[in-house]
Amino acid sequence: MRVFAPGRLISVVSIFALCISVGAGGASARTARSTAKVSGLTIFAGSSMTTVLPQIDPDNTYSFGSTTTLGTQIANGAPADILMGANTTETALLYSEGYVEQPVDFTRNTLAVVVPKSNPGNISSIYDLEKPGITIDEAAPSVPVGSYTVTVLNNMGINAAIQTNVVSQETDDANVVSKVALGEVDAGFVYLSDYVTDPTQLTLITVPAWAQPKITYALAIVKNSSNQAADQQFVNEILSPTGQSYFVKDGFLPLTAPTPSISKISPLSGKAGATVTVRGINLNTATSITFPGGVPATFKIVSKLAAASRLTFVVPTRARTGAITITNPAGTATSKTFTVT
Amino acid sequence: MTAPITRGQFLSRSAKSGAALVAVSATLGQAADTAAAALPTSDTAYVRLLVGAELLASDFYSQAIAASVSGAAVTKYLKIAYFNEQQHYQSVAGILSGEGVVPAVANDITFSYPEGTFSTEQSIVEFATQLEATILGTYSGAIGQIQTTSLLTGLAQIATCEAQHQSYFAEAAGGRAFSLSFPPALTIEQASNAFANYTA
Repeated sequence: MRVFAPGRLISVVSIFALCISVGAGGASARTARSTAKVSGLTIFAGSSMTTVLPQIDPDNTYSFGSTTTLGTQIANGAPADILMGANTTETALLYSEGYVEQPVDFTRNTLAVVVPKSNPGNISSIYDLEKPGITIDEAAPSVPVGSYTVTVLNNMGINAAIQTNVVSQETDDANVVSKVALGEVDAGFVYLSDYVTDPTQLTLITVPAWAQPKITYALAIVKNSSNQAADQQFVNEILSPTGQSYFVKDGFLPLTAPTPSISKISPLSGKAGATVTVRGINLNTATSITFPGGVPATFKIVSKLAAASRLTFVVPTRARTGAITITNPAGTATSKTFTVT
Repeated sequence: MTAPITRGQFLSRSAKSGAALVAVSATLGQAADTAAAALPTSDTAYVRLLVGAELLASDFYSQAIAASVSGAAVTKYLKIAYFNEQQHYQSVAGILSGEGVVPAVANDITFSYPEGTFSTEQSIVEFATQLEATILGTYSGAIGQIQTTSLLTGLAQIATCEAQHQSYFAEAAGGRAFSLSFPPALTIEQASNAFANYTA
């Protein structure tokens, strides 16, 4: 059994503190299940999801904390049904160790810098964090948001300079947000979703896109969970368009490809068997092309560059004149009227 | 001092590798390979920025072409510029690959543009002029700051190409093809902040 795997050391104090809060939630859930009156699940989730998850489903017991800590607790037998991590590595590690089912990616995020509304450090760019005297809070590198912070700063070549101004390291992003909001530090590294969910006390400083790490969240059902059917129902709820819309509203990035759009169809008429070229955006992820009446057309993606994607389709034998729809996992684009000759 | 990379050397490398595109891509990558064991952190950071700049340029030109609102002459140069930027991307991304770093790809960054950027030929060439000036300034700044001297010739070659783009599109927009004797070189912070205006 894993207790403290290499590279996963967390302060004893933080684990103890989280055990207390998680223990309370877990006991509550177990009681509920034993009475068979409540279908609530016990969800262990990264603290960046503190706001969004109760909006999606308020009837579960959520225990928020560092993904790394929560993963260690599950490995040590903590009574969770599902782990929702702020990275893909924690669930992958638990999966490899046999504690959880196959992980599923469910959302993405970006790293951001926040400063107090009063902005005492007069910070307008991430490069300002190098200035002498600036005080910075960040999460410890052992937790996801902390590791992403290190990655960004290394990508920008300013990690060494910034670290001289770091005055505190936290166990998760929620603690960084609190310290910045209280004005205890001049700036802190958090997720963009942390800012979006509560922008009233914070000012956002953008982290450049060219330096951003890939921040993908993954969840996994705990193998020992006795609520496997309900667990899967919850996972389906998270992955549904409605569930995803809650994440996007709170500043997370959509998991699926951007919606398609059509800029040009050439020619705009043709008989059955004719080959037609469609140009547009995000057509490279098209999954179907349909004529009026639901008549599908066979197609081939010619250019995979999303911003200038191109595909060709063959006019099907039962095609009727009308608008053509092109669908990808994120949505549907509708063309001008295509005339079948 | 580094020796300039001539067209002949390009073609020679092309023959060895069997593909012109690979040769272009390899130019800077090989330069990185022959440099110290690893690039300084500050150099790697600069190259990441250049990769982002090339992705932005490629995205812009691809959307400008897809908009199909430009005349034949401008469209021709949009396509050439797009081709150039793709090659530049492969070249600077090759530096990172040579360092064992996975370079950003098109899907990693979502770009955004001011409303109406792709509405008319005029709006496209005006934006292209502005974008190319920023990219040129970025490369000029990089050449002044990057410590790995073996990279500098390749970066200067790209800067020259970007200057040609800017010159063409400035004239197409109704302005002067060139004017400044010393176009400004941007610091990495200035360049990064400028590009941030075009990311979602």
